[in-house]
Amino acid sequence: MSAEAVVFYVFGAITVLSGAVVVLARSLIYSAFALLFTFFGVAGLYVLLGADFLAATQLLIYVGGILVLLLFGVMLTHKLYDLDLRSEVTQFAPGIIVASGLFVILIAVAVRTQWTAGPGRPPSVTTAEVGRLFMGQYLLPFEAASILLLVALMGAAMIVRRKKAA
Amino acid sequence: MIGLQHYLIVSAALFSLGMLGILTRRNAVNVLMGVELVLNSANLNLVAFSRFGSGNLQGQLFAVFVIVIAAAEVAVALAIVLTLYRLRRTSNLDEADILRG
Amino acid sequence: MGSVPDVLTSMKRFEPALILTGAILLVVLVDATGARWRDVAGRILTVGGLLLALVRSVELRGVSAEIFGGMAIVDPLGSFFQALLIAASLLIVLAFTFRNSRELHGLGQGEFYALLLAVTLSNVLLATANDLAMLYLALEMVSITSYVMVAYMKGDRMSNEASLKYILFGAVSTGAMLYGLSLLYGLTGTTSVPAIRNALAAGIADANPLAISTIALLVFSGFGFKTATVPFHFWCPDVYQGAPTPVTAFLSVAPKAAGFAIMTRFFYTGLAAPRTGPWDLAGTIDWVHVLMVISVLSMTVGNVAALTQTNMKRLLAYSSIAHAGYIMMGVVALSQNGARALMIYLLAYLVMNLGAFLVVTLIHLHDGTFDLRDYPGLYRRSPFLTLAMAVFLLSLMGIPPLVGFMGKLYVFAAIVERGRSYFWYAAVGAVNAAIAAYYYARVLKTMIIDNPAAEKPPFRLALADATWVWILLLGNVLPLLWWARIDGWARSSLSLYAGPPS
Repeated sequence: MSAEAVVFYVFGAITVLSGAVVVLARSLIYSAFALLFTFFGVAGLYVLLGADFLAATQLLIYVGGILVLLLFGVMLTHKLYDLDLRSEVTQFAPGIIVASGLFVILIAVAVRTQWTAGPGRPPSVTTAEVGRLFMGQYLLPFEAASILLLVALMGAAMIVRRKKAA
Repeated sequence: MIGLQHYLIVSAALFSLGMLGILTRRNAVNVLMGVELVLNSANLNLVAFSRFGSGNLQGQLFAVFVIVIAAAEVAVALAIVLTLYRLRRTSNLDEADILRG
Repeated sequence: MGSVPDVLTSMKRFEPALILTGAILLVVLVDATGARWRDVAGRILTVGGLLLALVRSVELRGVSAEIFGGMAIVDPLGSFFQALLIAASLLIVLAFTFRNSRELHGLGQGEFYALLLAVTLSNVLLATANDLAMLYLALEMVSITSYVMVAYMKGDRMSNEASLKYILFGAVSTGAMLYGLSLLYGLTGTTSVPAIRNALAAGIADANPLAISTIALLVFSGFGFKTATVPFHFWCPDVYQGAPTPVTAFLSVAPKAAGFAIMTRFFYTGLAAPRTGPWDLAGTIDWVHVLMVISVLSMTVGNVAALTQTNMKRLLAYSSIAHAGYIMMGVVALSQNGARALMIYLLAYLVMNLGAFLVVTLIHLHDGTFDLRDYPGLYRRSPFLTLAMAVFLLSLMGIPPLVGFMGKLYVFAAIVERGRSYFWYAAVGAVNAAIAAYYYARVLKTMIIDNPAAEKPPFRLALADATWVWILLLGNVLPLLWWARIDGWARSSLSLYAGPPS
């Protein structure tokens, strides 16, 4: 097995197995930490696919931002002494059936389809190119995303802020 | 040789796991985690197609925007969950049931 | 592509969105000053910004081009929807104020205006998106700003619960849609919508039916969520009931219209190869029947569920699910006439639905209730309001010569002209309209004929409120006089920019 294959299987396993823990674990804290490993595994797969800028972004934003936010959410929505943090699961059977059905369909799609046969992009440094694209072709989404972030920031702060005397 | 389909299978597994989490979990924060799994699986698709298929960076750029959007979404979602907790002392979705027709 | 000259030309064609962006920033800044006049200033800025953007978008009508390196598109269809969406926001700001909406009393105004401007901007971006990345970004922008608006009544449990259901449902639907979009990228190698159409038309679609069906179903989950069609409608009644009524009124018209705009664009320029007659979808599994089933289910579920509702907001929510079903008839027709029918219906829907919600808000202002069981005797207490409600409900029912009738006429005509096999579908639509008539009529009967348990004093409407009720009322009645103009406008807006010559 080539080195690339080994790395792929390692990161793939990390991703999928921790994903399973996120979904199946009894305790919320276990889910949150398993999510950390899932994000990490995905970042590793990005590196393997040659998306170095994206991998760094994934770690910075997903792990450093979103996961921390989720942990705050977990911690703030339970009383501090409620260390149990159990999360209930209802009606597992229909969920498992639907999810497995989806899995089978998506595997069929993945395997049977003739995906676009292009030249591909062997792993290379992408950061400069990504930067150029942000300022070039992707300028509009870039600016629109900044408005989105402004509004989301304002909105989230407004929702959580306690009412004070006008 | 690791090819496109290996990555697609991993992402399909992530997507299904995410959907499973969304369908079976009762805690709002847990459902959010399931959503994040779904978004990550789609991102993995985009990057894999960029690498093996078209050769352009459009997939990777799309993935960056998805990450940004996911961050904004989680921020707003947690603000709402926090408010729910403040009002009702629970983040259990089963107990969010006063709206009924 | 993406060079400085391109950006500068694009900005000239992008003015409505730029004006809206400027307005957002100004409103946020003004609100941050904390001065006493900031609410009034915010309102003036919002109305001014929306008006200016509306004027500019109408002036830009003739332009047809890709802008910003192919990310967005300016074409007559886009301009039509831009104008519609900005007008919807303008009506909401003008007719529903912080004074006449009891639910919004005491809440911060500056943030509301900023959010409204932001959601308008997002709607505009959605209606003109030409690339999958932009499409997803705009869709999520609309969704996220809507979630915040629904949660606006922070201390209110229903508002909070509504926004929670909204955001979780929305996140799942758009997540599934994203997965579908990623597969589409893989199939065609590009995220640019015209290029995708070319690739699909060139035979890729025929070779991969399973992939195309999966993609289309996944992508439709996002569209279905935004337009509240079955089976993605579950969030609708709860969210409509829990959100502040001005927000509900807005959600029922604007994001829905934007959702239909992008659905039209996606199916017509993305998946179809346009010709002037019925358009064929590039080699897919029988899409038309899937859309038909969705449309029929939406109409039926919406109408049947509305029959037993007593909460006016929930009733109108189910009604809007049903109307989404009628609007989808325009999509199913897959022809120039179908697209035109869709546009006309959305225009009509704007004035009739906003009118109904305005009346509900005003009744809530005076009586503090949304329950139909508290409506008896309204005719004696405010005959004008009851009359106005009658006009709005008759229009929703589709009674001529009101504007709602024209909308239904167009969609039914577009369906029927597609041939015999569509007749059953039109018949189902007609039966549904009849069922709907029952619950609309029930509201009217309660208001006019029923006797109240206890006599309540008559109420007078404030001049501003009465004015806006009049304006919406006339909006339902008068368009018939200028129908040729309106039809001509819709017709001329039908050219979709089909991408640069390949």
